Amino acid sequence: MQVPSPRFHWIAALLLAFAAAPSAAQEIQGQGGRGPAMIIKAPDVSQQMLDNADKQSVNWLHTNGGYSQHRYYPGSQINTTNVKRLRPVYLFQTEVKESMETAPIVVDGIMYMTTAFNHVYALDATTGQEFWHYKHNMGPITTFCCGPNNRGVAIEGGRLYMGTLDAKLVALDAKTGQKLWETQIADPEKGYSETMAPTVVGGKVLIGTNGGEYGIRGFVKAFDSRDGKALWTFYTIPDKGHEGVWAENDATGRNMKRDIPAEKDALAKNSDFYQTLGGGVWMNPAVDLASRTIFFVVGNPSPDLYGAVRPGDNLYTDSMVAVDLDTGQYKWHSQYIAHDVWDLDAVSPPILVDAKDASGKMVPAVIHGGKTGHVYVHDRATGKLIRYSEAMIPQENMWVLPTATGARMLPGANGGVEWSPMAFSPKTRMAYALNLHQPMTYHVEAGQYPGGKLWLGGAFKVIEGEKQWGRLAAVNVDTGKLAWKFDTAQPLIGGALATGGDLVFYGEGNGLFRALDARNGKLLWEFNCGAGANAMPVSYSVKGKQYVAMGCGGNTQLDFKRGNTLAVFALPD
Amino acid sequence: MTARLLFLLALLATVPAAAQDQEAVRAKAQVCAACHGPDGNAVSPEYPNLAGQTWRYLYVQLKDFNEGRRSNPLMSPMAANLSREDMMALANFYAAQPLKPSAFKVDETKAKAGKAKADETLCTMCHLGGFMGQNEIPRVAGQNYEYIVLQLKAFKARTRTNDAGTMTSVAQTLNDTDIENLGNYLTGLRP
Repeated sequence: MQVPSPRFHWIAALLLAFAAAPSAAQEIQGQGGRGPAMIIKAPDVSQQMLDNADKQSVNWLHTNGGYSQHRYYPGSQINTTNVKRLRPVYLFQTEVKESMETAPIVVDGIMYMTTAFNHVYALDATTGQEFWHYKHNMGPITTFCCGPNNRGVAIEGGRLYMGTLDAKLVALDAKTGQKLWETQIADPEKGYSETMAPTVVGGKVLIGTNGGEYGIRGFVKAFDSRDGKALWTFYTIPDKGHEGVWAENDATGRNMKRDIPAEKDALAKNSDFYQTLGGGVWMNPAVDLASRTIFFVVGNPSPDLYGAVRPGDNLYTDSMVAVDLDTGQYKWHSQYIAHDVWDLDAVSPPILVDAKDASGKMVPAVIHGGKTGHVYVHDRATGKLIRYSEAMIPQENMWVLPTATGARMLPGANGGVEWSPMAFSPKTRMAYALNLHQPMTYHVEAGQYPGGKLWLGGAFKVIEGEKQWGRLAAVNVDTGKLAWKFDTAQPLIGGALATGGDLVFYGEGNGLFRALDARNGKLLWEFNCGAGANAMPVSYSVKGKQYVAMGCGGNTQLDFKRGNTLAVFALPD
Repeated sequence: MTARLLFLLALLATVPAAAQDQEAVRAKAQVCAACHGPDGNAVSPEYPNLAGQTWRYLYVQLKDFNEGRRSNPLMSPMAANLSREDMMALANFYAAQPLKPSAFKVDETKAKAGKAKADETLCTMCHLGGFMGQNEIPRVAGQNYEYIVLQLKAFKARTRTNDAGTMTSVAQTLNDTDIENLGNYLTGLRP
């Protein structure tokens, strides 16, 4: 509990005494004095609607567009020929001026968006008029490394689901914003927190966890969407066998300079560190409905830079993992970097596509944009790596080991592709990846588990005087070649959106929200929204009119200018 | 306590407990006052100001003293017998006190060099812009110069290791001049 200062304690006491209304009432704010603005007809999103979300162009029902996570909007009302006339329709200002990473969900003309610190707003998606505003009653302890972020809600039936910074899962009534239930996912004092949007499928709410910088044991959990009851847990760190195969090379065949005999000695002395080995899962899984399999990527081991206390491959960190949707049973994994000491975790959400295999045959595949700067293409059935793309950004000195005084290696610890979800267009067969170029030195320092505090085991430093920049890369998934690249003044973080109008939308830390030609990377349109455009853009249509929405609230991790605005655009009537 | 307030307290059932808690915290904080001041503004610059600090930092430091991850001849015995609730209450109490400006005279040239070093070292990735801290990462804006210098040197010498090496690692890249400059810069970020 927050204890007020003594000068104010009697005021606080009065407030406590008179605010006797149920706590739920305090969490919701309506339109206060501007007449009733209510959701008349509650949304009712069926499983069939969720299954087919990426085949229609009215609603935006999943954070990443559909279970395949293409972030592709099939509509083409806004297209390469008319995008230059795109204009703001409204600017919705939230109460929270902090890092904004949300992807709004839109159903039947109602938009649900979140902000930092777990506020949720329900809006008229065509006007920005507010229906309700939910503020999560945050517990006293929250532990998160990289900003008080939230990436959005999931919807099923008439309910919304959100993970919170104090490691809870809450369900809200989509019509009223009233809380229906909440459940504790894990202990925030040990470093667990939630920033990802959940994924809902077939009555299950799927959610992972943050905490790879705190010595947690990562997981993906499934909860019953009706009551929040836990259904299954898949731990990303197995209690036995996390040492793996003692891989000498990374997934691209480069030697990682491991001292494997020394690691084996260390493991013989202590193999009991699986409880603090990290492996957060902090972006959405892709769901293959046909095989009832989910695919997610697992973050870095803990501590980030100091590997001596965690010998072995540290499975399943820095890996793509497939598990059974109904039971959480392991199916396969494919590790990108064994025994990572660079914080190059796998985080950008996987995308299900069909891609050509080595023999040129189209097969079901799953792809991931890595912090390493490669797009990896796996066989969906086995996990086998079919190919990896050419490097999207400069690489240098891979894999030099961190030292006490600092070793230079590119990419820096943020990537490559950070959490930023890629978009995939079935028309161009290209994946669109937001990359960072941040030269860094990696520093190692011995440090024992610090009891739920930040546990890097060293530090990252940017190199004074070296330019940082960003690059949107279009990667052909069938060849691994870069089709085109578009360089930006600042490192890129946020989501990409591809559309049937052959456009790619993305934002920059300087506030520019931009549309490129998906076929060749030509800049066609831009709008400066005044604060970092670092959220995940979405598109939808209401009464036949297409809209594009982008959160402009900046970013904590890269210290881009903060704001509190959701900007929504359409063509003039 | 005024008669009117007493009347209100009598009237409202939830209040006495809260007020008693507050009094209990103040009583517990009395032993801290000898060094940290009655309101968390330290009596001498080699001790840290606790006023305005993030409550989580204060809580985890007490916990680390209590559980032996951080040690100090003065603080370790003080924290040895505190319960989790005591530590949380004390941390909240000091976090809610206003931080007063330091009497230290900042050398502007050194402060400017300190800012450049801080930018290069990515300090604000954890301490946030303005060095106001977050969660378990401390606010260092407006902290006492002597205390900042002592801690940076302690991290560098590995006599303070309870942050699991992040600050040790950072401090290895700082020389004595850098540390002086950073002290000037951070102390000068006045409340």
